[in-house]
Amino acid sequence: MAEKFFIRELPNGLTLLGQPMDNVSSAAMVLALPAGASHDPPECAGAASVAADWCFRGAGERDTRQLNDALDSLGVQHHESVQSEFLLLSAALLGRNLPETLDLYADVVRRPRLEDKTFEPCRALVQQDLASLEDEPSRKANLLLREKFYPAPLGRCPYGTAGSLQALTADALRKHLQGRFSPRGATLSVAGAFEWEALLDHVGRRFGDWDSPAAPPVRPTPPAGGITHVPKDSAQVHIALAHRATIVSDRRYYAARLAATVLSGGMSGRLFTEVREKRGLVYHVSSHYHSLKDHAGMFTYAGTTPEKAQETLRVTVTELRRLGEGVTDDEMARARTQLKSALVMQGESTGARANALSSDWYHLRRLRSLEEISAAIDAITPDQVRQYLRDWPAANFTLLYIGPAELDTAAVL
Amino acid sequence: MTMEFRHAQLDNGLTIVAEVNASAASMASGFFVRTGSRDEQPVVAGVSHFLEHMMFKGTKRRSPADVNREFDEMGANYNAFTSEEYTVYYGAVLPEFQARLLDLLCDIVRPSLRQEDFDVEKGVILEEIAMYRDMPRWRVFESLMAQHFGAHPLGNSVLGSPESIRALRRDDMMDYFRRRYSPGNMTLVGVGNLDFDAFVDKARAMCGAWEPCRADRDLSPPAATGTHQVLRDEKVAREHIGLISPAPSAQDPRRHAAHLAASIAGDTTGSRLYYALVDPAIADEAATAYEPFDHAGLMFTFLTADAENAPRALTIAREEFRKLRDEGPTDAELAAAKNKTASGATLKGELPMGRLSAVGFDWLYRNEYVPLAEQIDQLFAVTRDEVSAVLREFDMTAFTSLALGPVEAL
Repeated sequence: MAEKFFIRELPNGLTLLGQPMDNVSSAAMVLALPAGASHDPPECAGAASVAADWCFRGAGERDTRQLNDALDSLGVQHHESVQSEFLLLSAALLGRNLPETLDLYADVVRRPRLEDKTFEPCRALVQQDLASLEDEPSRKANLLLREKFYPAPLGRCPYGTAGSLQALTADALRKHLQGRFSPRGATLSVAGAFEWEALLDHVGRRFGDWDSPAAPPVRPTPPAGGITHVPKDSAQVHIALAHRATIVSDRRYYAARLAATVLSGGMSGRLFTEVREKRGLVYHVSSHYHSLKDHAGMFTYAGTTPEKAQETLRVTVTELRRLGEGVTDDEMARARTQLKSALVMQGESTGARANALSSDWYHLRRLRSLEEISAAIDAITPDQVRQYLRDWPAANFTLLYIGPAELDTAAVL
Repeated sequence: MTMEFRHAQLDNGLTIVAEVNASAASMASGFFVRTGSRDEQPVVAGVSHFLEHMMFKGTKRRSPADVNREFDEMGANYNAFTSEEYTVYYGAVLPEFQARLLDLLCDIVRPSLRQEDFDVEKGVILEEIAMYRDMPRWRVFESLMAQHFGAHPLGNSVLGSPESIRALRRDDMMDYFRRRYSPGNMTLVGVGNLDFDAFVDKARAMCGAWEPCRADRDLSPPAATGTHQVLRDEKVAREHIGLISPAPSAQDPRRHAAHLAASIAGDTTGSRLYYALVDPAIADEAATAYEPFDHAGLMFTFLTADAENAPRALTIAREEFRKLRDEGPTDAELAAAKNKTASGATLKGELPMGRLSAVGFDWLYRNEYVPLAEQIDQLFAVTRDEVSAVLREFDMTAFTSLALGPVEAL
């Protein structure tokens, strides 16, 4: 099953990425706008999240309800997510409805109404999202950790702060979005049931004459890092910690992914085995790799009751460090199979493929075939993993935990 | 994309069903066991779910570490889940691993239940219960089910309580296992790119000697209590409100209409509750789902709002349900609900993992196989009158409610 990829950079800066797929009737698209949380003006943190909702509150000829009804009647499942660099507008639909769906999205990003009367509820919903984090301590711990770990403002919490949301005005947000809902640096990725030539034509007609000034790049400042305890009278202590890893475009990236899989891929991973299976300390423990363009980390989370928290932290950190002593041939073989099999299974999903196109282009400025990734995974030796872990050791942790118990971190870190 | 349905039954009663799709890149398989918290006596509350965990703890041939390692050696996407009325164990792999996956799945559902593994896993279960304690939405769901169903076993907690789990003995679990995991109470399901004849041969070799026994279920109809409760907890930041009302069962032909009614009332986009509550930001979440059960059914609505807005959100939700009941849906609403549901089913159907649950539950509840295209046809055949009738016969305003959060009274 040879994969077909298409890339076209339009003169206005929008990049169109396509992967037609056989045996599916759905199509998935991801429109990545350079309007992520890290681009929010500091006094307007949370702006991207408000914008993600606001741009669907009427666009072009349609008011909120007409736009919603139009999307619903095409059976479009859409969702918006605010990441560090991008605001992602994602949609999954039947391939035959793609042209009409693109027409609606052209309105959403080029002709959003952004009216005063719809601004207030959009802001209020983000304020409620922020308040809801208090009732989701594990999610809150992971969001706050990112903020501490990445250079500011790259890891910024997408919901901003109570103060920044309160200060945000419709005028300020409209002004900010002029440079952010822009084809410059934006990508439109489509995977599934469609014809490339027809898509290219259609996108050219709907987005070709889109123009907007480019916005200035973000200048990050060093991360806060450190150890943070957020006291809370919760049932569990939610422990989140991060250490640095190499980025996707680095040649050692695959070694990093194999190391991460040995640590926390499946239920035979080291963390799951040592923290949960052998000791029964937690229900959830896991570690995952996450990368921005120029910074990346391994993010580890464990949730446990207060009396087990110290021991959980100790065993977790011990395992993160012990990985540096190297991985066995068995573990390597298993990790290779896990990564490659996940690739094939994700390759069946139009949504996963559209996301992969978007992410490859952002990190690498090119698209990787499953075959290329598979070969790269096979080529990594245990020595390369060991060398990688020497260069990128589990050290200098950023730790953030929420819960009633004060942990003796000095004894462990 | 051609799908072929295959079916077989072993002499001991184990049913094997498969939807074979030779063009898929992967295959998935799972045991669908007709047992869950509604089949538990109160004294062993949580045993179905605890047992599900113990299935990964080894057999005569495998240690706990072997089980995890072998799944990962195949690069399987695997897990298990337990509900009020079923327990499912599944894995998805590349087609070359079909025999190995089956060997493992068929082996682990005959577990050793070793005492030392039981003791360690008890700690994991207690942590899982603690984890859910920190999720107000889950607390609402669990308490509301008990409140709505009263003494009926559908109100039983899936996780059990810390007390019932601490008190549970390994022998109680073995006894439950012997009574409930009879081959006649289990269905082995396969979907995707698989060789069905080899599938059945392997299942026969692995499961053919399992002893059958009777595994009945109390199917007496539940009576909804319709009570309203407010649980004040100042540690919870926002008000979390759950509403439950009766709905058609998994066997009821009106289930398709009920599904569409739920979408019209409370889908996360474009529904009545969306426009009345989320669009104006009175609630940041307002969603209705239809949950069919074995000879019972529920409409489940979940709202979250600020303490200040919570009373208004609840009043508005009730009023929207009343209007929808009295006026019925519009043609446009019905068409949108059908399109959304059909495109959701299509997307899910393109992945073996997505089809596994559809094929498994169709068989578990109705002993039928429904191809995706036919499922979508059934959906599009539903009329406005049928949806209106369901909304009148199963009145969503007659809900049982539970609110958890800072509010004292609603």
